[in-house]
Amino acid sequence: MPHLADALSLARWLTGNADDAEDVVQEACLKAHAGIATYAGGNARAWLLAIVRNASYSWLARNRPRSIVAVGNLADLDEVAAPRETDADSPEAALIAKADTAAVATAIARLPQAFREVLVLRDINGLSYREISAMLDVPLGTVMSRLSRARGLLMSELGDKR
Amino acid sequence: MSNDSGLPTNPADLRLLLHALVDGELDAATSLALERRIASDPALAAEHARITASQAAVRSLRRPEVSEGFRARIAAIGTPDKTQALPARSRRPLARAAIHRFGSFDWRAMAASILVTAVLASGATQWVMLSGAPDSFAVAIASGHRRSLLATSPVDVVSSDRHTVKPWLDARIGVSPPAPDLAKDGFALLGGRIEVIGDKPMPALVYRHREHLITLVAAPQETGGASAPVATDLSAGGFSLVHWSDGAFSYWAISDTERPELENFVGRFQAAAAAG
Repeated sequence: MPHLADALSLARWLTGNADDAEDVVQEACLKAHAGIATYAGGNARAWLLAIVRNASYSWLARNRPRSIVAVGNLADLDEVAAPRETDADSPEAALIAKADTAAVATAIARLPQAFREVLVLRDINGLSYREISAMLDVPLGTVMSRLSRARGLLMSELGDKR
Repeated sequence: MSNDSGLPTNPADLRLLLHALVDGELDAATSLALERRIASDPALAAEHARITASQAAVRSLRRPEVSEGFRARIAAIGTPDKTQALPARSRRPLARAAIHRFGSFDWRAMAASILVTAVLASGATQWVMLSGAPDSFAVAIASGHRRSLLATSPVDVVSSDRHTVKPWLDARIGVSPPAPDLAKDGFALLGGRIEVIGDKPMPALVYRHREHLITLVAAPQETGGASAPVATDLSAGGFSLVHWSDGAFSYWAISDTERPELENFVGRFQAAAAAG
């Protein structure tokens, strides 16, 4: 059942918890069934993941209201995580490659929501830029810059470990 | 810095392109120009290595286990006795929906319902003989395969990495079928190309098995296609051809290899596609 593992991965990273992820995916599958009329052809997996994403955020809003950072204005977020101007203090690729999985998982969990979802959709769920752009309803350029910021934050986090 | 290469001069934009290169989202010309620039710029090369390393680190994370209990819970959503709570549209009887076959919203909903049930609840693809496969389609696929054998390269994007092939196809024609690498099973993914069949562009994946090439055309299933998982053996133009569907795509595997080998490939592809 290929899409189920994918759906669980996404929900796990968005909610931050494997048990909650199962509830979210179950809810999403119910919604998928009920909302079948909205399926407009195309990639069924991306469609299901979009529903999982929405279900994750409704779940978070209901169960973890405090964890939701106001993402109303992403321009603020973009300033917070401005890209590095120089590569001088960037970690070596070898250092990143050595990071253990627990450190990687922690680093992903620490990413701001808007960056984390793009990173997970791309590198864990394997969606293309175009699919992500359609799912989040943002321009392709925004997907690219968020992904670049997400990876940049991840790199410095993993490089700092030792 | 000159702009002869067509690459952006702005470092921030160049950085975005590096990510796109790692993600297989660039066209061949830009990839080439960027790879040349990386080769001559150590800072850019270091950033490229960092991006590749961080992507590998993220991908190396273990995927969550899908427990049997959870799988059963989800599968139960698609069974008829649990659909009482669902809106009427999704439990409309098949016969009734079939009456509305043309131009009807309900029929589309029904087709999508079957698709979602297949997506959610079916792991194994059922093998059913189908006699009425469109012959002209098979012939077109055979011609495409034969042409590819004669061409300089059977593929337009060369990569054994599905994370490169899928976005490449998606960027061009907006569909990306599963593209598992089956190298460990003896079927190496060579890359992909676009086949135009009828008047529609369709993604084609190319695998190599020993000295033989296998072309796998994946036609996105649309409203008119057969929605049940079917597979059928055909032969066209001296090639072996196997056809099956999984709800999202209608697959046509063609090769000059022996039929048992091709069936072996189809089985492994289905297993790998189902395993994600």
